[in-house]
Amino acid sequence: MFVLFCPHCGEKREEEEFGYGGEAFIPRPATPEALDDEAWGDYLFMRKNPKGWHWEMWSHNTGCRKFFVVKRNTATNAIAGSWTLAEGRKAYDAEGGST
Amino acid sequence: MSEPTMRSPLHSFGLEEQAKPIDGSCGVWANEIPHLGYISLRGNGTDPAFVTAASTSLGVSLPLRPCTFASSNGITILWLSPDEWMIVCPRAQLSALLGSLRHALTDVRSQVVDNSGGYTQVIIEGPNALDVLQHVSVYDFAGLEPGRVVGTTFGKSSVYAFRQGEGYRVVIRRSFADYIWRYLVRAAVPYGLGIADLAGSRVTEEGVPA
Repeated sequence: MFVLFCPHCGEKREEEEFGYGGEAFIPRPATPEALDDEAWGDYLFMRKNPKGWHWEMWSHNTGCRKFFVVKRNTATNAIAGSWTLAEGRKAYDAEGGST
Repeated sequence: MSEPTMRSPLHSFGLEEQAKPIDGSCGVWANEIPHLGYISLRGNGTDPAFVTAASTSLGVSLPLRPCTFASSNGITILWLSPDEWMIVCPRAQLSALLGSLRHALTDVRSQVVDNSGGYTQVIIEGPNALDVLQHVSVYDFAGLEPGRVVGTTFGKSSVYAFRQGEGYRVVIRRSFADYIWRYLVRAAVPYGLGIADLAGSRVTEEGVPA
């Protein structure tokens, strides 16, 4: 169990109030009809699953019901920060869009 | 065909018959405030046209700070998210409010929906009200300041909760009302639960402290 900061509500809340939204910032292929099945399957199903820092989405289910971005360490549950989707995108890109 | 009648989601508990004036005999006093009007208002909180039109029409400034609410003339506006508010009003004012809101927001990107059938409200008071809320929710209600509203858990379901007067109000979904009331009754066992007579005490039937 851990505590997340919701950038919309401006408060730290218990994990139980939130729902996990999976890996963040997965680019949707520009031309899905041009992809073969393997590439489309990669987009749909294949995720990073790192041991360490991970950019992920959470939704504040019981509160504002909005999605936001969290950078969490999957091994230690340390949390580097949480952002709205737009702000998180900037932070993610500033890091080079990886890890 | 008989006339349609309003029935509160907690009707089957017979709260009205059990209600008695608040005294020192119980640690927790609770009751439902039934049949209020609930309006879901959505729009862009950063758009001055929307905020001005809605505030003017309601006669209360739309609360723009996260997790706050505003009350005036029996109308309470709860901030739910950056683009969503819940307006709680006496049932008698519901259709007039809906009409004036829709009229004021005609040319503004927005949504006004009558949600009165979907929610009800429970008041929780008494010396152990805080203890009970701490039992049922993950939110630290001791830190809930007056004027703030939080959406949080209540058992396995969710509620919007805020402080009013000496007690707490929880806005609950109709579909979870039965579960939430039973959960509250169980949580209050150690302190004793009294069904508060709201008509004869601080709360008028509009749900506004007298």
